[in-house]
Amino acid sequence: MREIVELGIMQFSAVYLLLIVVLAIMKHAKINQTKLLIVASFRMTIQLILAGLILTYIFDNQNPLFTVCYLLAMIGFTIKRTLSKTPGLNKKFKIVVTASIAFSGLSTLAFFVIGIVGQNLFNPQYAIPIAGMIMGNTMTGVTLALKSFSDSLKSQRAKIDSLLNLGATPQKILLPYVNNALETALLPTLNSMVGMGIVSLPGMMTGQILSGTLPMTAIMYQIAIMIVICTTVCLSSFSSLHFGYQTLINSRNQIKLIGEE
Amino acid sequence: MAAILFKAKQLCFHDKICFADLEIPAGKTTFVTGPSGAGKSTLLRLLNGVLSPTHGQLYYLGHDLETLDTIGLRKDVLLVSQAVFLFDGSIRDNFAAFYEHREKSLPSDETIKKFLSICCLPFEPDATTNTMSGGEKQRLYLAIFLSFHPAVLMLDEPTSALDSETANRVMQNIITYCQAEGITVIAVSHDQALTKRFGENILTLERVENNYA
Repeated sequence: MREIVELGIMQFSAVYLLLIVVLAIMKHAKINQTKLLIVASFRMTIQLILAGLILTYIFDNQNPLFTVCYLLAMIGFTIKRTLSKTPGLNKKFKIVVTASIAFSGLSTLAFFVIGIVGQNLFNPQYAIPIAGMIMGNTMTGVTLALKSFSDSLKSQRAKIDSLLNLGATPQKILLPYVNNALETALLPTLNSMVGMGIVSLPGMMTGQILSGTLPMTAIMYQIAIMIVICTTVCLSSFSSLHFGYQTLINSRNQIKLIGEE
Repeated sequence: MAAILFKAKQLCFHDKICFADLEIPAGKTTFVTGPSGAGKSTLLRLLNGVLSPTHGQLYYLGHDLETLDTIGLRKDVLLVSQAVFLFDGSIRDNFAAFYEHREKSLPSDETIKKFLSICCLPFEPDATTNTMSGGEKQRLYLAIFLSFHPAVLMLDEPTSALDSETANRVMQNIITYCQAEGITVIAVSHDQALTKRFGENILTLERVENNYA
């Protein structure tokens, strides 16, 4: 098996030069996000170095407790980021989103690591990178679901009020928005599955091939992870929306939209 | 003496809008007037239970409103809001969509035409709503709500997008129809002439300081 070429630090640093291209284009197009580009690059570097150090430590000192802590931190950050991107959720809605992400993420992770790979759930080599991929996609999916739900409700205030005045049940009024938002959340994942292998060689597969894994093994992992991601995005978005929308309705059949006091 | 339809005592909403104690009789056309910010629209929304008062009591036919089933109440006390909403498509599509939300089957073209003519809309049910003017949309919205035949019809600025002549004709038709059918009309209007002409009972709201808290 060929081993991957280790990157020398000087050669590696050269990659940052590419950012000058991005900076130049942003300046030319008058995109006022230079600061964000620098902050993003800087944060990415620091965060990944930290992750690398922690992972090295966890791999060297195999202990289920470390894996659990790492997973919990990952899920915690996912939930925090997702909630902060959808301001105005009421307290119950936040609890629903938290439970949805944690439950869907952990159950599909367990299914993949124990059921498909046949490894101990606390084996950091499998649990941590897989959880990372699942959580990253879940965050995007649920954020999209909540944003699209919240935005479409806001833009349809007159419709919602009219139907409420008409005597339609709030559930009947809101359910179409729930289903639409779920569709919106699922589409990016489905589209990426459609283009996979043709348009793009996905990151995990590329990584495995680079490090010497046989392409067919890498492909099987990639297919499995995509299905797991799709399931998790679907489950977590569905349960966030489906149980979440009911927190907008009170016992008097009144509706308080997201962001309303 | 007419029965009391609604009765409010020490009513407040969010401690910003408070109402003097009021009564609205059944079977009489009541016009609600008053300066903006006096809570005219809020009052209507409290009466159909889309909002709940933060203070005080509201009674509908002698029952405490907070104990009534809100969905049933809203079907009974139908509010035609100021913000008109229509679905895309034809007039018939709109009737269909609104009726579907009430889980009722689409009325016949005859019935649709009857309500269109009450609201002075010379259109066929096939006509598209996309090209309608604001006033036409408002009248179609009214016609659809009227066709549900509630016990009480509450109109929030029903003629705001209409010229005074059309406004008069539409209100005359609606009130005549409602009187014949035993529907009580409660309307909020800025239009003094309309209020004077059609209001059998005029309720003037004033800004009331919150003395109840």
